[in-house]
Amino acid sequence: MALVEARGLTKVFRRPDKAPGLKGALRQLVVRRFTEKVAVDHVDLAIDAGEAVAYVGPNGAGKSTTVKLLSGILVPTAGEVRVGGVEPHRDRIANAHRIGVLFGQRTQLWWDLPVADSLDVLRDMYGIDRATYTRRLKRFDEVLELGEILPSLGRRLSLGQRMRADLAAALIHGPEVVYLDEPTIGLDIAVKDRVRGFLRSLRDEGTTIMLTSHDLRDIEDVCRRLVIIDGGRIIFDGALTALKDEFARERILHVETAADVPLAAVQASLAGATVTAGDSPRRFSVRFNRFAMTAGQVVAALAGHAELVDFHVDEPSIEDVVRRVYSGELMAR
Amino acid sequence: MRPYLALTRAMLRSALRYRITFLMGMFGMFFQLIALFAVWRVLLDEREIGGFGWAEMRPYLLIGFTCGMIVSSFTDWRMAYRIVEGTVSLDLVKPVDYQFARFAEIVGGIAAEVGVAVVLWAGVLVFTGPIALPPPELLALFALSMLLVVPLKFLFSYVAGLGCFWTHHYNGIRWTQQAVVAVLSGMMIPLALLPSWLATTAAWLPFAGVASTPGLIFIGRVDAAEAARLVAVQAFWIVVLWLGARLAFRGAVKQLTVHGG
Repeated sequence: MALVEARGLTKVFRRPDKAPGLKGALRQLVVRRFTEKVAVDHVDLAIDAGEAVAYVGPNGAGKSTTVKLLSGILVPTAGEVRVGGVEPHRDRIANAHRIGVLFGQRTQLWWDLPVADSLDVLRDMYGIDRATYTRRLKRFDEVLELGEILPSLGRRLSLGQRMRADLAAALIHGPEVVYLDEPTIGLDIAVKDRVRGFLRSLRDEGTTIMLTSHDLRDIEDVCRRLVIIDGGRIIFDGALTALKDEFARERILHVETAADVPLAAVQASLAGATVTAGDSPRRFSVRFNRFAMTAGQVVAALAGHAELVDFHVDEPSIEDVVRRVYSGELMAR
Repeated sequence: MRPYLALTRAMLRSALRYRITFLMGMFGMFFQLIALFAVWRVLLDEREIGGFGWAEMRPYLLIGFTCGMIVSSFTDWRMAYRIVEGTVSLDLVKPVDYQFARFAEIVGGIAAEVGVAVVLWAGVLVFTGPIALPPPELLALFALSMLLVVPLKFLFSYVAGLGCFWTHHYNGIRWTQQAVVAVLSGMMIPLALLPSWLATTAAWLPFAGVASTPGLIFIGRVDAAEAARLVAVQAFWIVVLWLGARLAFRGAVKQLTVHGG
C-alpha cells in the first residue's frame, strides 16, 4: 500500500457572490448568494514511501489545496485521503507526528522569539529527546547554516534566513512525509541551491517528499516523478524523464565551421533533420529527433563538410514541456 | 503536558517582549478604573443603591475590573488573526489538540496579566484604603471562583475566535462579545441593579461567572451555600462550553478556506 493515498479527492469552496459597488454590497446584506468553486476535482494519487514527487500547475490550479487536503488541514468535500493508514483530518495528532509541512509564504516561527526558542518549543511539542534534537540541529547547521540565525528574532529575519529556519522547523521531528509548498519562493540563487541540495539529501535518506513549485529547476533537481494539475484535475502523472521523452524529442545542435559550407549540402547529408542558417555563413543549427539519431551522428555528418570549430547541444527544457502542457498544446495522459 | 507547557512558556515570553505596550495598556486601565470609581463614589455618597453601599462597591468593582483585565491580552487576537489570515493551517498540523493548545497559550498571557493585577490592587489599596476580607469559607470559594474565571473567559474568546472561520473578520465579533460580556457579567454594574427580567436572565447565563460571581462572593452578598451554588454554575458552564466548542470546531474546520499558499 502506498504511504500517501488519495482517492476521488474533491474540495469545493463556497464563495460569497458580491456584485460590485454599493448596490451589490447592499444586496449581499439581504440575500447572500454563493458560488461554488471546485478547487480539487476527483484527484487520485498514490505516493510510495521514499518517493519524491513534484506537483506543478499554473496559479489557482489546486496545488496548495491538494497539499492542504493531504496534510489534513482541510476537510475534503468528497473522496478520501490516507497517510500511512491514518485519515489526516480526523486523526490530527497522530498525523502531525508523521508529516512535516512548509508553506513558503507563511512562517511557523514564533514572531517574537529567537529562532532557537521557536525550535525548542517544537522540540517539546513533538517530544523529541535531547540527543536526537542536538543531532538534527547540528545537521541543519551544516546544510542550512542555521547557527548564525538561531539567536535572531523571528520577525527580524530576511526572507532567505526565514526560509532556512522554517525548513528546520518543518523537519525537526524527522517526519516520514514532507509537503513543501514553494520552498524556494523569493530566494536568491545561492540559498535556492542550498535548499535544493538539502532536499536531495533528504530524499536520498528515504524521506517521502511532495514538492510544489513554480521554479522548475527545483523539480528537476529533486524529483523523479511529476504530477501536473490544472483546473483541479490531474492531467499528467508519470516519470519526469518519460514526459521529456514523450514531449521533448527535439534537440538542437549549434555548430560553427572553419570554412563556409553550403546549407543545401548539409541538409542533404542529414535526412530527417532540419538545418537552419545562423548569423554567419559558418554558423548553423540542426534540429533533430533524439530518438532517430544521436548528436554524435550529426557531428560526424557535419565533419564530412568542414572542420568543426565549436558546437553545443540545446537539451529539451522541462519548462518548455510543462508550459506546453499548461497551454493545452500537448495533451498528456 | 510537555507540549502545552511549551506553548504557555512561549506565549509568556512573547508577552514579555511587549513590555512597553503592556505598561501603556496598564496606564490606560488605571484611568478607566479611576473613572469607574469616581462615578460610583458620587452615586453612593452616604446612601445605598439596591443594597450596595460604597464599602461593598469598591471591592466589587475592583474584582470586576480584574476579571475584565485577565484573559484579555493579545492571545485571542492572535488566534483570530491566524484564522483570518490563514496561518491557522500551520496550527492544524501540530501534534496538539487545537482547543487545549489555545488554552495553554492564554495561560501564558495570564501570567503577565496577574503581574499587572497585583500592581493595580496595591495602587487601589494605597490610595483608597484597606479592604475587608470575607470569612475563610467565602474566601476559599472566592479563590476557586476566580480560578474558574480563566477557563470560562477563555471559552468566550475561543468561541468568538472560531466565528472567524465563518465571518473572516474579527472586529465585529469581538466588539459584540465585549459589549455583551461587559453588561451581562456585572463587570461595571452589579446584575441586581439591572431591570429584573434582565437580571434574572443574566444570573443564569454563563457571563455572570466571569465577574459577578467572584465579586458577590467576596463582598459577602451571598452565604456559603449560595456561593457554592454559584461556583457550581460556573463549572457547569465551563463543561458545557468546552464540549460545545469542540463540536463547533469540527464544523469550523470544514469552513476553512485558505487562499494562496
